[in-house]
Amino acid sequence: MKLIVFCLFTIYCCSLVKASPMERKKLQEVLRELKMLKQLMMNTPPKDIEDCCCLTALTCFRETLLQHFGISGKYQKKLYKSLNHTLTISGLNFCNTETSTTNCSTCHSHPKEKASEFFNRLESLVQRVRCVDMKLRSAGR
Amino acid sequence: MRAYILFLFAMMSTRLLLLLYLTGHVFAKKSQDVDCLVVNLDYVSCKWNKTGTPEVNYTFYSKLGNDQWKICNHYLTENNVNIGCNQQVDSGDRFKTFRTRLTNGSENFEKGHELKKQVKLNPPTNLTVLNGSDFNLWFYWNHTSPAPLHCVEGEVRFRTNNNNWDFSKVSAGIQKYCINLPSSSSRYELQVRNRIDDSCGESIFWSDWSEPVVWGSNNSTYSKDLMSPWTPVIYLVGVISFILLAMLLMHHERLRIILVPVVPKPSPFLHNIEDWFQFSKGLKDNFKPDYNERACPVREYNYVSQSDVVSSDGSTCSVTTDQTDCSIEHDPEDLSAPFPSNPVSSEEVQKASV
Repeated sequence: MKLIVFCLFTIYCCSLVKASPMERKKLQEVLRELKMLKQLMMNTPPKDIEDCCCLTALTCFRETLLQHFGISGKYQKKLYKSLNHTLTISGLNFCNTETSTTNCSTCHSHPKEKASEFFNRLESLVQRVRCVDMKLRSAGR
Repeated sequence: MRAYILFLFAMMSTRLLLLLYLTGHVFAKKSQDVDCLVVNLDYVSCKWNKTGTPEVNYTFYSKLGNDQWKICNHYLTENNVNIGCNQQVDSGDRFKTFRTRLTNGSENFEKGHELKKQVKLNPPTNLTVLNGSDFNLWFYWNHTSPAPLHCVEGEVRFRTNNNNWDFSKVSAGIQKYCINLPSSSSRYELQVRNRIDDSCGESIFWSDWSEPVVWGSNNSTYSKDLMSPWTPVIYLVGVISFILLAMLLMHHERLRIILVPVVPKPSPFLHNIEDWFQFSKGLKDNFKPDYNERACPVREYNYVSQSDVVSSDGSTCSVTTDQTDCSIEHDPEDLSAPFPSNPVSSEEVQKASV
């Protein structure tokens, strides 16, 4: 009986010793994966987007978001749907087609940037559009 | 000898190094730091005099987005030296990349700027106050920047009677503020400032405070209520009256008994509650549970002398015994009996008169 108890106790102590380095290894793995995600590079439209290329940029932002983050999460799904909404598309469409002569770059041609820069540029694009006076926009069309 | 030479050599090299170090500072290129600010979304103001007035006149170039480099056409000067440049921009240009270049001969300093949040609007204008029909105080203002109304948020500060300022945020798109039910005897002063809202690229700088607007009485500049001069007099009269009353009560027992009657002390022995009250016996009977009151007719009784009575049946003027006695027995010693005494029947009068 005493021998059995002693064996069980030994096994228990060994398991404790083994657990600490396993947890540390797992946490290290998490840090590695986090670093990879932070350095995740995505095709990002430039800061200086021509007026007539805003819609193309929006499409690029939307598809890149879908490709890298998917729509499994609640806010990813909501953001994707909002970026695909007709009101959003019409809001970013302030191109005067009569004077437009620029060719907009394709999404894959944009250089890759970090995820934080990607979201910052998307935010700036939306803020810029909100800043444009509706009267001026309708006059330009 | 050898040691002396070595010592001299060390001293010389130290001095040379020190000299080189000092001269190095003099001949080293000073990099010019340029700070840019978008003023009222009208123009960009860039300055390079943060560390002091430069010694040379620099030429300023700027490049917005994918445009070409442009030379400055409006320099800011100090002691005939260029210290800054103002350049016209559109309201949406702050979202583009902005690069600046300072050149002076071979010197060339380039720098990139993030102008989106480096915005300072002009203070609001036309600040007016109106006393509304709802008896509230309404303040209205305008902004002068080309930004749309929904992009401009405000902050209001006001004070009553020169007390401390109270601050309040005003949401984007709103250019009015209300003070509820102002006091007509108080003085209200209000100022407002604004900045670009978060949804349009929040600016990190607030504008300067607008010119103040004042409403209310000029005479009432103190918030503390001044005590009436009669208040201490009234307090003094009250205290003296109380002392006098206390003295009167102590020395005049009769007055004390009237004002402060003696509370009856109940006897420790058990008695009927009915005995505590000075009721007449008749009234006491009325409180008995088995009391049964019979209805009785009301009659008037008149006193008539027996000599005047002519009765066929020889009856006297007395109350017949077969009739119900509705009167309450009157005790001449009872002071609390509520009912009148000596009732007289009108029927007896009629019998007497017949």
